[in-house]
Amino acid sequence: MALLEEPIKGAPTLRNYIDGELVESRGELVDVVNPATTKVIGRVPVSTKEELDSAVSAALEAFPEWRRTPPLARVRCLFRLKELMEEHFEEISRIQTMEHGKTIDESRGETRRGIENVEVATGIPSLMMGYNLEDVSAEIDEYVINQPVGVFGVIGPFNFPWMVPLWFIPYALATGNCVVVKPSSEDPTCQAKVAELAEEAGVPPGVLNVVHGGRAVTNAMLEHKGIRGICFVGSTPVGRDVIYRKCGETGKRVIAGAGAKNAVLIMPDVNLAKVMPALMTSFFGNTGQRCLAGSNLVVVGEGLSESEHDAFYRKVVDAFVAAASKIRVGYGLDESVQMGPLRDRKKKENVIRYIEKGVEEGAKLALDGRNIKLVGDWPHDSFLNPTVFVDGSPDITIGKEEIFGPVANIYKAKDLDEAIDQIERNPFGNAASIFTNNGKWARELQYRVTAGNIGINVGLPAPVAMFPFGGMKDSFFGVLHPQGREAIRFFTESKVVIQRWM
Amino acid sequence: MEELGATASAVISFSEKLEESSSRFYEKLAATYPAHKDLFDSFARDGRKNRTLLVRTYQETVTDALETGYSFKGLELRSFVPDEQLQEGTGLKSALESAVALEKEAARFYTDISERSKTLLSTIPAAFKKVAENRRGRIQRLEALSSTP
Repeated sequence: MALLEEPIKGAPTLRNYIDGELVESRGELVDVVNPATTKVIGRVPVSTKEELDSAVSAALEAFPEWRRTPPLARVRCLFRLKELMEEHFEEISRIQTMEHGKTIDESRGETRRGIENVEVATGIPSLMMGYNLEDVSAEIDEYVINQPVGVFGVIGPFNFPWMVPLWFIPYALATGNCVVVKPSSEDPTCQAKVAELAEEAGVPPGVLNVVHGGRAVTNAMLEHKGIRGICFVGSTPVGRDVIYRKCGETGKRVIAGAGAKNAVLIMPDVNLAKVMPALMTSFFGNTGQRCLAGSNLVVVGEGLSESEHDAFYRKVVDAFVAAASKIRVGYGLDESVQMGPLRDRKKKENVIRYIEKGVEEGAKLALDGRNIKLVGDWPHDSFLNPTVFVDGSPDITIGKEEIFGPVANIYKAKDLDEAIDQIERNPFGNAASIFTNNGKWARELQYRVTAGNIGINVGLPAPVAMFPFGGMKDSFFGVLHPQGREAIRFFTESKVVIQRWM
Repeated sequence: MEELGATASAVISFSEKLEESSSRFYEKLAATYPAHKDLFDSFARDGRKNRTLLVRTYQETVTDALETGYSFKGLELRSFVPDEQLQEGTGLKSALESAVALEKEAARFYTDISERSKTLLSTIPAAFKKVAENRRGRIQRLEALSSTP
């Protein structure tokens, strides 16, 4: 099948967006590489601390006027921004596929999810309202006002380069705050596009700034006294040991979404043919580079004899391996492709190390994704096919650690209690799913498991923009979560007024 | 590989091309048979509305968390072969027969997709059903025209 047209031509050099201007960075440039074709499609600066400082200064300067701007006027900018995002929907989606590698359907899904957050944030004139009560004491009334906080830093991940920063930016802006965004330097162009569209939508200079770069920019954000809070999504070691810790030291509020190891439970009453598409999307969607991806597939023998459990397990394994082996892998701009490459060669090598570890620790490789079969003639650098381990366990390395690649680890649990115990032993708590028609089993999982996002007959429990994106244990550090009402709380400070007129 | 079927993106691209080429077909008919220009032009305009409806529905409902990549199980787009070619010098009767054949194939395609997408958000099967009905409506009008002396 012919490829869709690539929107990025040549290898443009990205610039920072500070105080409403595109500014060339003094930092060195690094290549942005299309993981499917291995072509250099852009150059992104590694900006300096001084450049971050200048963005924060612009944001601090813009803040007093932006917070005084009526909420209705602020969200009119967001309405215009949403319309511009719709106009550029296809371009934005194809940029994600070129830079990240995900399929075009996945990219469009990500674009939509990002826009949905802008839509929800346009409700701020109602959503940001405080509350009041008369006569709390003699002739005394009391009320709460929700006020913006100041300047926030947003540090984006490589796996959802468009959507994740938009879990935060629209809410921050709508509530009257200013933002400095550091996109992932691996796939930075779509955040540059957000800045371009925001300017066109009339977001005033300094309210939204984009500074490209790496660790130096992140560290400068964490240290900067002018930044009141940090929004981060990335790995657990960075989220916990760097972002969360540093924010604690410097008194910043923080949302730090981190790693995951998500179990998907298959109960004996499921219709396997019906659930298989959901399982394929869960385990292999976004090439497994997703903090909600299914990773451990647990075949639960609740109510079955040992031999019945064995037979059920075999049936699940056979169906899963058959479906996984048929997934078409290639360049995501080919519309026939169902799974793209890993983001880069290093990430692929990391996944291969986990595959080797799984073999060493005794799991059986039922489908070896290292045997690469592609749709189209692409360099194999970052590609892997779906990989399925069977007869594994939750306690071997591939059952415990986050792989962040297209690898499934299938094993048995004799009953639901054992399956839940296995999940609880794992330090992560991002998501857990169950496939069943039995309400009691579903409720048990929902009630007992320490995970922030629960899927009931849903393999990828991704909350829509009106709901918080959950996360517990080592998968989340902070109190309030991204998206919806919790994001609004995060970006506002409650001021209580106790009033008496004499 | 066919078990996992055509991606949502491939189905939408196919629909877009089908609507665009059908519109061009009717524009050509309108130019060739001025006595029926209004009817053929209205079909061409409808085609562009259909295209907008389908693309908008897809873009507004696609999310990374639904099983969009795997939704059209077993679908072979190659099995739908609408023919929008119109030979030079074709008489009206024969042109109308070609148009009816095109509409029947298009209606078959959209009905199939509507059925297959019933497990997705309701707006998706509804959009395909609406376009299938639009195409079937054209068949009646074309056949009525064909039987006019």
